[in-house]
Amino acid sequence: MLIFKLINFIRGYLVIRSDALNSEKVLNILRRKNIRVWDVQKKDKGTRFKISYEDYIKNSSLIDEIMKPVAKKGARFKLEKLKFRRGFSMGIFILIIALYLLTSMIWEVEVVGTSQTRINEIMAFLEENKIKTPLALSNKEAKKLENLIYSNFDYKFVDVILEGSKLIIIVKEKEAEPAQIKTNEPSSIISSKNAIISKVIAKSGQPVVREGDVVYEGQTLIMGLVKKKNSDEFMVVPSDGIVYGKTYYNFEMKEAKRKSINVSTNESKSVYYLKIKGNNIKIIGDKEPYENYNYREKTIKVPILSNLADISLLKGTYYEEVIKEIEIDKTTAENKMKISMYDELLKKCDEDSRILKSTINFSEDDDFYYMLAQIELIEDIGEKVRIYPQTQEKTEEKTEE
Amino acid sequence: MSRFNNFRSKLADELEIPNDAISDNFELTMHGNKKVIIENHLGLTLYEDNQVSVKTRDQDITIKGSKFKIEEINQYKLIVKGKIKEIVFGMKE
Repeated sequence: MLIFKLINFIRGYLVIRSDALNSEKVLNILRRKNIRVWDVQKKDKGTRFKISYEDYIKNSSLIDEIMKPVAKKGARFKLEKLKFRRGFSMGIFILIIALYLLTSMIWEVEVVGTSQTRINEIMAFLEENKIKTPLALSNKEAKKLENLIYSNFDYKFVDVILEGSKLIIIVKEKEAEPAQIKTNEPSSIISSKNAIISKVIAKSGQPVVREGDVVYEGQTLIMGLVKKKNSDEFMVVPSDGIVYGKTYYNFEMKEAKRKSINVSTNESKSVYYLKIKGNNIKIIGDKEPYENYNYREKTIKVPILSNLADISLLKGTYYEEVIKEIEIDKTTAENKMKISMYDELLKKCDEDSRILKSTINFSEDDDFYYMLAQIELIEDIGEKVRIYPQTQEKTEEKTEE
Repeated sequence: MSRFNNFRSKLADELEIPNDAISDNFELTMHGNKKVIIENHLGLTLYEDNQVSVKTRDQDITIKGSKFKIEEINQYKLIVKGKIKEIVFGMKE
């Protein structure tokens, strides 16, 4: 019925009043003439109903004879009216177009994530590249701008977002990298972990440990201080070499025998919000309709409204989930523990390390599987540290004392 | 009901096709007590706020209730909306 009414609204319809006492007779006549009548209402005096404009044109002589058209309604007649008010309708049309064009333009540029000096630099760069407000920018062009800023500045991350009539440039500064020791700077090699020395290959510098020595974290392995030839004086040199040591890693892990996992039931319910300046106003739907759920959100922009003001629609969907308890078999649990152990081991040691021996013991109780492991590795334990020579000022102070 | 119409109605039942496709019998559908759809009617005999009477080939149907409004009427179908209390089928003499 709604579709039928909508079609008739577009094509136009007539509201007709019949003052005849015998309204049934009028309706039967119309029925026999194959005229579709709807919304028949009994009034104090006669009946009021609607017929399509086409039916009226076909049977106008009969209808005018026995009843009175009260009003012509529908889009057809409204458009006809607008024909006579050309200036007004043109004005409305121009206003809508102008509103759309103006709101789709960018009127403000904001840079987030850096200092004011850097912001001014970016602004100057944008001006140099003829990016000035007001400006029309598509999403594709925003991506190009993103690449342009990224290639011209030394940022870790650049993102350009179009939000309404605002262009937001988000940047992230690169973190300062730790200073690398230059090859010609005097340095020593110290131990980065507790180990038993297995092999010392010293290319330059004085090795101070031997094979079989137990060394602790921070202990000097190759010293950058060597005696000058034909003299008793010492001089600082850059140390270079590889010191292999045996290291031991102990792991204790456990894995539950039963686990609860969330399984989707394919049921979902949606809730709609009106988002005005970050505040959500619920329109339709229920919040948290299920006990266990997975929630996802999607922002829908309203064409002109979102550009004019910070207003948008927010669709939230709750996907129903049920908690299922599953049993984990022994092999899976053991493999899982082994994998996580090796993952942890990789984080702790070097890529060139070699496993010498691994002892892994498994056990279990009612609730858990346990793993106790000891891994023996051979790895490069050396770490270069800079030697700071005594400054001249300090030596002078000492002499004064 | 005429004999020939009766035969057509029976045939429709046997062939499992809609009754009104080959017979002149009316079809009445109710949506709760708020809406009645009568198909294959022959016109209105009475339309008041509390009563609507419809003519069909073999019977007169009287719908009693209140706040009646005819949602649609055409050559084939009639839709009556309102608060329905009673529907009476009167056989033609």
